[in-house]
Amino acid sequence: MNNNKYKLLLIEDEENIHNFVTALLEANGYQVIGARTCAEGTMLFSSHCPDLVILDLGLPDGDGMEFLREIRRGSVVPVIVLSARTNEADKVQALDLGANDYVTKPFGSAELLARVRSAMRNFRYSVHSGAGGNRYESQGLVIDYDARRVFCQGTEIKFTQIEYNILAFLSAHPGKVMTYAAIIKAIWGYNDLGSRKKLQVNMANIRKKLGAKPGEISHIVNELGVGYRMLRSDEE
Amino acid sequence: MNRKWEIIKDWSIAIGSLVGSFLLSLFLQYQYQTDALIPVVFVLGAFLTSVLTHGYVYGVSTALFGVLAVNFAFTFPYFHLNFMIPENLISTVIMVIVSLVTCGLTAKLKQQEAARANGEKERMRANLLRAVSHDLRTPLTTICGSSSALLENYDAFTREQRETMLRGIQTDAQWLNRMVENLLSITRIGSGDVKITKEETALDELADSVLMTFSTRYPHVKVTLDIPEEVLIIPMDAMLIQQVLINLLENAVQHAEGMTKLSLRVIAMGNRAVFEIRDNGKGIDEDMIKSIFSGRYTPDAAILDSSKSNCGIGLSLCATIVKAHGGTIQAKNIKGGGALFRFTLDMPEEEDE
Repeated sequence: MNNNKYKLLLIEDEENIHNFVTALLEANGYQVIGARTCAEGTMLFSSHCPDLVILDLGLPDGDGMEFLREIRRGSVVPVIVLSARTNEADKVQALDLGANDYVTKPFGSAELLARVRSAMRNFRYSVHSGAGGNRYESQGLVIDYDARRVFCQGTEIKFTQIEYNILAFLSAHPGKVMTYAAIIKAIWGYNDLGSRKKLQVNMANIRKKLGAKPGEISHIVNELGVGYRMLRSDEE
Repeated sequence: MNRKWEIIKDWSIAIGSLVGSFLLSLFLQYQYQTDALIPVVFVLGAFLTSVLTHGYVYGVSTALFGVLAVNFAFTFPYFHLNFMIPENLISTVIMVIVSLVTCGLTAKLKQQEAARANGEKERMRANLLRAVSHDLRTPLTTICGSSSALLENYDAFTREQRETMLRGIQTDAQWLNRMVENLLSITRIGSGDVKITKEETALDELADSVLMTFSTRYPHVKVTLDIPEEVLIIPMDAMLIQQVLINLLENAVQHAEGMTKLSLRVIAMGNRAVFEIRDNGKGIDEDMIKSIFSGRYTPDAAILDSSKSNCGIGLSLCATIVKAHGGTIQAKNIKGGGALFRFTLDMPEEEDE
């Protein structure tokens, strides 16, 4: 009786939000399994093996973070966290612990759906084509990993070694928000007081070379205060 | 730290006035060959100290030391202390009385100032509560009303009517969201003890975030962006400054009637970043400019379109946030029409890498 729908695990204790999200996802062709606490979520996760998890960070019986840590021990399933706007720190922590993306409350239906679609797509992409293949191609941006060259709309663009490393790193996790800390650690190996500024300067130079202007959609989305994300070809 | 500075400053004033009185007296003694002016000079010194310092200690000390100085250096017998002469005793008493009374007056004056400032703050808070309660009730009325109407009489409405009501619920909910964001920021910054955490933020990233958010809310309003070519990294609480910029842009959209051009410009001036938001609307009412950031709620706003009353809170929040960053904010009308909102943020000098 496999009806081929993706199975989503929703862990949210607020009744109204739970109902609205479930209705929304089901109306868009997903199957939804609901939990209202961390404990319930853990149980349902192991028995149902969902394709994606939507996790509210403000759960009553503790820590969404703990849950995240636990499932990341053995699974690379995409996780989207729901967070309250004023809690930047939580957002960053969740991303560092392995969450793929976040949605800030209050959110509209379009936003949530877009994130779900994106997370599923990127997961499939990295699993099926082997992350770190020879090329990355998206929206006219081509990164040739073997030759370490970057082309935008056919024209080659010269990047410094650090800039290239950052681009390669972001493209290896397409659609996923990489926090400042994660990028800094991957590129420089250590994280000290000047690292963030170094990263920001490099990112600014990258954006300039790619011809990205503030306010316009470009290849790299900046999540203010959190990190950066590289968009995949079919994303908004 | 503030207290220490204050104490050092006050002692400096006290000592300074004594030294000043002494030198002035020497000069007068030399110039006019008379001793009559000297006690008066020291009284003046004690008076000034009492006015400019906090508490009684400094003023009275200056008075007593002044008396000793006059007795020692400027009255017969010169360069000897002599307390037996009654004139000396009387002048001592008079100088101390002058100091005490002046100190007392100054203290009272300062108290009155503080009370008035407090009263002002209380009034602003009352205004804020009134404005907020009005501004929250208005969209809630729509949401309650429309949703219950739809639930009870769903079939009685045409599809168009239903969509209009639902859209109204959506816009009002979004507006409530913005209001809550503003209020949360106000409480985060709080009253008096301002604590914000500054993180280094790239200017073009801030602008990008602001423009993206703004265009989601107002897709038909174009904002012209003008920022420097070079990378500017400014320490700030990015979320709050983003809110300031969005509030200012939104304010232009809501209130600048006849606006066709809206621009955001940032200039680096030495160790400061200057943010300017310009529109070419009808400008700000001259009599509102002075109090535009104080969040004053005018009762007339209740009659006007409810969307306009968000103005008070939004702008006063902007001022609070900017001030908490140690910056300045101002609003003025542009010659030739339109309004300009400008605020500055400190930007420590770049070291050459």
